[in-house]
Amino acid sequence: MTGATPADRIGRHKFIDRAYHWVMAATVLILLVTAFLPILGVKFEWVGIHWVTGLVLTIIVLIHIVRAVFWQNFWSMVPDGKDVTDPFAKPGKYSVAQKLYHLAISLLILAAIVTGLLMWRKVDTPFWQRDPYWLSTDTWGVVYALHGLAAMALVTMVIIHLYFALRPDEWHLTRSMLRGWITPKEYTDHYDSRRWSGGDEA
Amino acid sequence: MSLFRYASSIYGGGDTLIGANYGLLPWFAFAGVAFVIAHAIFKAVAAPGKPR
Repeated sequence: MTGATPADRIGRHKFIDRAYHWVMAATVLILLVTAFLPILGVKFEWVGIHWVTGLVLTIIVLIHIVRAVFWQNFWSMVPDGKDVTDPFAKPGKYSVAQKLYHLAISLLILAAIVTGLLMWRKVDTPFWQRDPYWLSTDTWGVVYALHGLAAMALVTMVIIHLYFALRPDEWHLTRSMLRGWITPKEYTDHYDSRRWSGGDEA
Repeated sequence: MSLFRYASSIYGGGDTLIGANYGLLPWFAFAGVAFVIAHAIFKAVAAPGKPR
């Protein structure tokens, strides 16, 4: 820790965004574990845990999308011209690598959610009885294939994310996702003040 | 190794797609580990001590 006083702190992530991040991380890890342990031979009653956790992930992702579009600076996570012309320059709030990672993992999670919601129809729940004939066999095959490929690709992405979170030169980002702020030195060392004036609005 | 799993249709005809081939899971994990190793080597060799 740096001993920075509240006056020295440059806000980066509001509490609601940090809570979203960590709940999403927990749900994705639970979903991957409940999906792949049975395939690897560890047998347990995984279906109930999996669909309930998937429902939680769906709800928080919907909240995040609404919040990102209406309450946050949506464009701070979209690559801009400077990212293309000089991708190694000091970034704004997010580097081009972070923006591309966010785009990739967003597509994978949305694919897993949409296909997962369709697959939910084949599971008995308190709301309905399963209906395996809701879609044709060929369509179910496409749904299952997309869900499985997205899930396996998420394993790759989680490994990469953990690596960057643990790299010493990225610890200021990991710390900011825990406590919400960075120090002025971290700000001047890592960010272009013309591209991010400091703040947790996005 | 195929990306997908197929099953023979009980009604005859061609094979039916039933999902992704989970035998590829180790390869997806390996891809993540390979990226980590390649990036760590690049940072150590090409940009030692550079903060970003």
